[in-house]
Formats: sequence, C-alpha cells, structure tokens
Amino acid sequence: MTVQDSVAATPPAPPSFLRRTRRALVAWPPVVVISAAWLILMVITAAGAEWLAPYPFTAMDLKARLSVPLLMGGDFAHPLGTDELGRDVLSRLISSIRMSLLIAFFGTLIAASLGTVLGFLAAHFRGRIEQVVLMAIDFQASMPFMIIALSVLAFFGNSLILFICLMGFHSWERYARITRGLTLAANEQGYAAAVRQLGAKPGRIYGLHILPNIASTLIVSMTLTFPEIILLESGLSFLGLGVQPPLTSLGNMVGYGREYITRAPWIMLAPSFVIVMTTLSISMLGDWLRDRLDPTLR
Amino acid sequence: MSSPLLEAIDIRRQYNVRTAGGVFGRKAVLQAVAGVSFRIDMGRTLGLVGESGCGKSTTGKLALGLIPPSSGEIRFVGSTLPAIGSAAWRDMRRRMQMVYQDPLGSLDRRLQVGPQIAEPLIIHDIGTPAERRERAYATMASVGLQKHHFERYPHELSGGQRQRVVLARALITEPKLIVCDEPISALDVSIQAQVVNLLLDLQDRLGLTYLFISHDLKVVRQVSHDVAVMYLGRIVETGQAEALFRAPAHPYTRALVSAIPSLGEKRERLILSGDPPNPVDVPAGCAFHPRCPFAIARCRSEAPALRRQPDGRAVACHRADDDAIALAA
Amino acid sequence: MLAFALSRLARAAITILFVVTFAFIVLRLSGDPALLIMSVDAPPEAIEAFRKAWGLDRPIWEQYLAYAWHALTGDFGKSMRDGRPAIDLVLERLPATLAITLPALALKLGIGIPAGIYAALHRNSLADRLTMMVSVAGFTMPSFVLALVLVLIFGVTLGWLPASGADSVWHAVLPIVTLGTAGAAIMARFTRSAMLEVLGQPYIRAASAKGLAWWLVVAKHALPNAAIPTVTIIGFMVGSLVAGAVIVESVFAWPGIGRLLVSAVANRDLAVVQALLMVIAAWMVLANLCVDLAYGWLDPRVRSGAR
Repeated sequence: MTVQDSVAATPPAPPSFLRRTRRALVAWPPVVVISAAWLILMVITAAGAEWLAPYPFTAMDLKARLSVPLLMGGDFAHPLGTDELGRDVLSRLISSIRMSLLIAFFGTLIAASLGTVLGFLAAHFRGRIEQVVLMAIDFQASMPFMIIALSVLAFFGNSLILFICLMGFHSWERYARITRGLTLAANEQGYAAAVRQLGAKPGRIYGLHILPNIASTLIVSMTLTFPEIILLESGLSFLGLGVQPPLTSLGNMVGYGREYITRAPWIMLAPSFVIVMTTLSISMLGDWLRDRLDPTLR
Repeated sequence: MSSPLLEAIDIRRQYNVRTAGGVFGRKAVLQAVAGVSFRIDMGRTLGLVGESGCGKSTTGKLALGLIPPSSGEIRFVGSTLPAIGSAAWRDMRRRMQMVYQDPLGSLDRRLQVGPQIAEPLIIHDIGTPAERRERAYATMASVGLQKHHFERYPHELSGGQRQRVVLARALITEPKLIVCDEPISALDVSIQAQVVNLLLDLQDRLGLTYLFISHDLKVVRQVSHDVAVMYLGRIVETGQAEALFRAPAHPYTRALVSAIPSLGEKRERLILSGDPPNPVDVPAGCAFHPRCPFAIARCRSEAPALRRQPDGRAVACHRADDDAIALAA
Repeated sequence: MLAFALSRLARAAITILFVVTFAFIVLRLSGDPALLIMSVDAPPEAIEAFRKAWGLDRPIWEQYLAYAWHALTGDFGKSMRDGRPAIDLVLERLPATLAITLPALALKLGIGIPAGIYAALHRNSLADRLTMMVSVAGFTMPSFVLALVLVLIFGVTLGWLPASGADSVWHAVLPIVTLGTAGAAIMARFTRSAMLEVLGQPYIRAASAKGLAWWLVVAKHALPNAAIPTVTIIGFMVGSLVAGAVIVESVFAWPGIGRLLVSAVANRDLAVVQALLMVIAAWMVLANLCVDLAYGWLDPRVRSGAR
C-alpha cells in the first residue's frame, strides 16, 4: 500500500525521495511496468481496432504502393508505409494484432478449461478414466505440437474455427497434470476430503473448494501458454497454413512481407517487432507474477 | 445394556500393489485391515491403538463408510451403510463425522472459518442463511470459540482454535458418531489436554459416541471406555479400558503399555525388537511371532483366533492363559 | 538394469502405437481415406484396389490392424503429387535435414552449456545477466523472425551469405545459425539453473569445506550431478531436431523433410504427411529411449528405483 502511495504522491523531502524511488523500483521494476504498458496498449489496440485503424485493412491504394514508413523518411499518410498492393501497413498491423490476440486468448482459454476438466475427471474417477487421460498426456508430451497441428491441418483442411480449436489443444496437458496432481492431494487428505466427508456433492467440492484453491497456479500457467500460442499461431500463419487471407494475423503479415524483404523490409519488420515485444512482455510479467503469486512454482 | 450404535463385522480392506520394478514388479496384495470386528454402544468411546501403519486409520475410514470394505459389513444403528456417493450415503454424513489429525489441512484456507462451520448446513439444506449463522455461532460457543472468530481465516488461528473449528464443523449437524483420527497428535502438548477435556465435556453434554484413533496410549486411557489394540490389520486384544491397561494380556499390548512413561512406580519395560514387518509380507502363523519374546513353535504355524477370556476381554494369543507368561509380567 | 531397459523399450513401443492410432483416428474422421489418399481423379478401379489392399471394406478393428501393419512396415501409399512411394520421398530428404540440424545441435550444446556453467559460477555478474537476457530473447523470438533478420543483415544488407537454396556449403550457414542460436539460449538457461541447483546442495559445501580446490569441486562434484537434468533437455532437443526444422527449412528453401511436410500439408498429400508423422515419431521415440538409457547410466537411483 505504502509503495503505491509513494509512486503517486509528491515526496516531501529530497533524501526520502531517493529512498522512495528505490523502493518503488524494487516493488515495480521498470521492465514489469514497460511490459504491462505494452500489453495494455496491445489490448486497447485489439479492442478498438475499427476506430484506431486509419484505413480498412484490405483497402488498396495503388498510387501509394510500397511507400516508405515515417522512420525511413515517409509521410504521415502511411506512418508505417504500405505494401505491394498499397495497403496501409499500420491498419493491417492493428487488424493482425486483434486476430492474433483473439486466437491466443481463446486458445489459452480452451486449453485451460479442457485440461482442468480432464484433470478433475482423472482425479475424481481414477481407474480406467485416469489411465486414458494419463496416456493422452504422455502422447501429447511425446510429440512436438507443431507436428500434430500440421497433420491435423493436412487431414481436415483449414477454417478459422478449426484453427482456434486446434490452438486450444496446445498445452492442455499442462493444466491436466497440475489439476490432477493438486486434486489428488486435496482428495487424499485435506480440505477436499473433509468437505466430501461432510456429504458435499462433487460440483460443490470441485467448483467451490478445489478450483479457487488451484486457480493461482492455473493462471500462472496461462501466462506461459499465451505467448506459446502466439508463437505457434504466427509460425503456422507464416507458413501459410494458419490464418488464411483475406484475414490477416501477425505471422501472416511476416510471411507476406518476406517476399519483399529486399525492397520493403518494413512490411515484415513491423509485425515481427510486435510479436517479439508481446511475447517478451507476457513472459516478463508472468515471471514476476509467478514470484508474487506462487512461491512454490519456480 | 445399551444398543450398539456402530458395529463392524469381520471387515477387511485390501489393496493391490506392485513391488519395485515398475510394470515388471510382482503383483501383491496389501491387507490393510484383515478381519476386524468391534461394536461401539451409544454414548461410549472405543479407543483404537497401534503403531503407525497397522491399519487403524483405514479402520476409521471404513467405519465411516468413506471407503468400501473389501468384505465384511459395517452397521450403523442396525442397518448396513449405503453405497458410497449415493444420496442416502450423503445424507448419512450428517449423522457421522470425522475429526482429523491436521486441522489446518482439513480446512479450506481461502475461506473464513465461520462459513466453513456452517457449510454442512448448506450441503444438507438445513435452515435459512440467518438460522445457519445463528447455529454456527451457537456451535462455536459450545466448542469454546468466540463470535469474532467467525470472520477469521484458518491461518490466523492457533492450532487449538483450528481443531475447535474442525470440531464445530463436525458438530453442527448434531451427529451421533464422531471418528477422531489422531485428533491431538499435531497439537502442542500444552493444548492437547484442553482439546481432550473439550471432547470429554462434549460427550457428557451431547451424548456423543467416539471412535478414538491414536497411538498415544495415555490419552486413549483417559478418554476410552473400551480399547482395541491393532497389529498388522488385526485386533490382537480388546476389552474394557481400565482392565486392559492394568493387566495387558497380549505380549504386544504389554509392550505398548510398558512403554507409557509414568511417574513414581518402577516397572519392568518390555522392549520389542525389530520393526513391524511389511504388511505385504505378513509372517505366517501369528503375525507378531518374529518380535514376540514368548513365541513358541505353534505361534509360527498357526494364527491365534481372538478368544474371549473369563474377564470379558478378548485376546488373540496362544499363550494368553499360560502361567509362565503371567509370571513374567 | 535389464528390467529398466525393458520397461523403457515397452514405453517406446507404446508411444509408436499411439502415433499410429492417432493417425488412424484422424484419417478415419476426415472422410474416406481412399478418396483422400488417392487423388480425386484416380480411376475407380484403382480406388477399389486401394480399398481392398487397406481392408476398408472390413470391420473397423480389422481396418485398424491392417492400417497398423501397413504403417509399421513403412507402407503409406503413394504420393499424390509424383506417384512415388511416400516413405521413399521422406527418407531421401532426411539427410538434408540432418545436414543442418546436427551442426545446429553442436552449436546449441557447444555454446549453451559453457555459457550456462559460466553464468552459474559467476552468478549476478554482468556476464550472467547478459546471458540471461539473451536467453529470454531466444525464448520469445520466433525462429522465422530471427531467420528473416539474419537474412536482412547478412544476405541483403551485407551480401555475405546466400539467403536461400542449397547449392553450396555457404547456403547452410544461416539455417544452422538460426537453429543454433535459439537452442543455445534455451540450453544456457537450463544448464544455469541445473548448476545453481547443484551448487546449493550441502555436499558441494561439504566438498569445498574439506579444502578441495574450487575448480576440483566444480569438476568432480557439481558438473556430473548437473549433467543429469541437462541430459533430459538434450534428449528433448535431439528428439525435436527434425520437427524444429520445419519453419527454418521453409524460410531458407532448404530441401529437407520440414519443407516437405509444409508442402505436403499445403497440398493435402496425405500419404506423405502420414509417412512424415511416423518418421518424426520414430525419431523422437528413439531419442527419448537413448536419453532414458543414458539417464539410467548416469543416475544409479533411476536404474534400481521403482520408476
């Protein structure tokens, strides 16, 4: 509490100013603040994509093809330049951010829910069901998910819904493992066993007691899954096997920009920068959260 | 003679285990409880003692119907316990409760203790929210907790207070039977006596029936009307508490009793050699014979049955009425 | 030790069976395999013959057995595109993939392990922080971004190295560097934490309290113990060598199996995709098996213990 005050209020005396600044820096490391700021910017961008984008992301301006971005001597009409078809890179970037974040968000949500439910099922029923879940976890862990994803895409073709669901299968096993382990411990001895012994139905035990108790661990895991899905999605989209045109995502843009790497490197550099910054920020923030929320995980 | 509240008839519980070596390990059967019978009358306390791993905790869970027996039967007020997880089984939870060794572990650390004490009422759909709160306050008062404890979190309370919370949660549905599984062994010695006195006091006031599981014979002697001594999944001696502690008949009981520290009187200590054997590999004959100083050839080949003695006790020992042992005592 | 090796072998076999089952289920879920694997314009009698050969007219479990048999003998049908057996296509591309992934592995281990050990021994020094910062970047930077940045610098701007193709040894440099850099970052981070874990143990303090020279303590006690967890990550790296090359091969137009996979997926050439799936799985399983055995050799507890 006092730390937040010190950041907000003007310090009364110079010596304590230095001390307060140092304390504030320890409590809120600059890296964390920058990461958080970047992520907030990304979320605002994704939420307000329609209003923020200067042009529709598919709009072509054939008179201004491959125009140079501001930093390389361009003008304000296209601050990040345009591509081969004269489409505004900034507008496409904003649209891509929304798409990539949405996919990562739903993917993470699906992975976490699926894994948690399977973990609960395994811990609740034990026996056969647990064996099946454990085998599935082993299988998932034994193959790189990239390969599994590629083969599923080969067999089923591509659509956005299928693609998002596929991303949701990434790392579900992490949640299943955590949930099963913690639930078994709670069921064996401890609060869950006690509540069960009181006559509570499974819904009450899992929903009201176990889930809130393991939520912080699950949330920390989600900060790992989210950037992983961004990387996976952008990788597949980069290969042309993920998000399909006319829709655009960050990986998609990099893949398209790679054709123009000699003549117009900005097409590929802008989305690359966003990918790296975003995954980096989430990792930083996740590390910091882990230390604060969950000292048992290192 | 009062009627039996709880009756266990030759209950067994076994687990399939594998010895070391993963999938290539040998399959084996672990007999955690190997044919145990007892009865507890209304308002009485049965103390269940034995070394750790002898199956007394498993017996407690079986008695409450928390795990199903592999064979045998548990009767509560004359009828067999319903199937685990059924509606009847859940309803039965109101009438039989458990108090655990680790009070902090058995409480949800994210919830205030008041709502946790009232939770059984919500689970069994008893009363309105206001009534539940009133009943929680009343129950808290009866176990010696104050009103202001209602909003505390488990980690903010002392060990003794936490055990009182667990007791209050167990008592709020007015159960008949409470199984106490090592209820005081995790507490500070200074607090143990308080909790024991509280248990005795509650029994007087509410007419509770206890199954009291402990390895601490001094406490068992203090709270129990009857005592059953377990060794490797079997009851080796059972009887009225005072008589059993005054003159233990089974060599194992005698060793346990002689290990109780006492002031004043000097007694010969009977010290057991070795550890209890692996329950997967129970010795043939009397399970106790490798550690028994009085073992004879017959003990190695033939398992002794639990036989009733003239004084009402039951002992499972071939040499229980042998004069030679009586002299050695 | 024998029981240990046998149980690991059984596990490897089960994993392979899993992959076969996975491929079978996905194949069956996606429609009529005959139509999917043969091209749509294949003559009807060819499709009929395929159905017979793969037992598609028989009950589902017989189909499964037939499928498993075909898969384990390496018969996945013919490539839709050039009509050659799919497995041949895959195997002839394997050397090209190994030509960049094996040097990359050497790079990962050769840079990552020493850097990790150095960082751990000089904890909180400037070098340590620098190593950790670079390694975080290695985690979060996608390989295609790194690849394109390298192309931009060394291929386009400086013009030192060719940006794509496989015509000379020089063409392999950028793919190897791309693969190696990210892996080295992960390796360094992992080695560092394994070392720190070991250095905090009481037996290290005991050894140095005995008066043993510090470098001897590190060499004789710390390194062998830190090697045990490190082997796991090396195994995972070896296992995912082939899979990790998918994106890099595509960026640099390197004719390995990663690029083959991408084009097979894009063309929905299912026979080739299945063959690739099996080859990659077999590679993974083999790598894991070797690691498990190495583990048993390094760590006596694993060998004798129950699990």
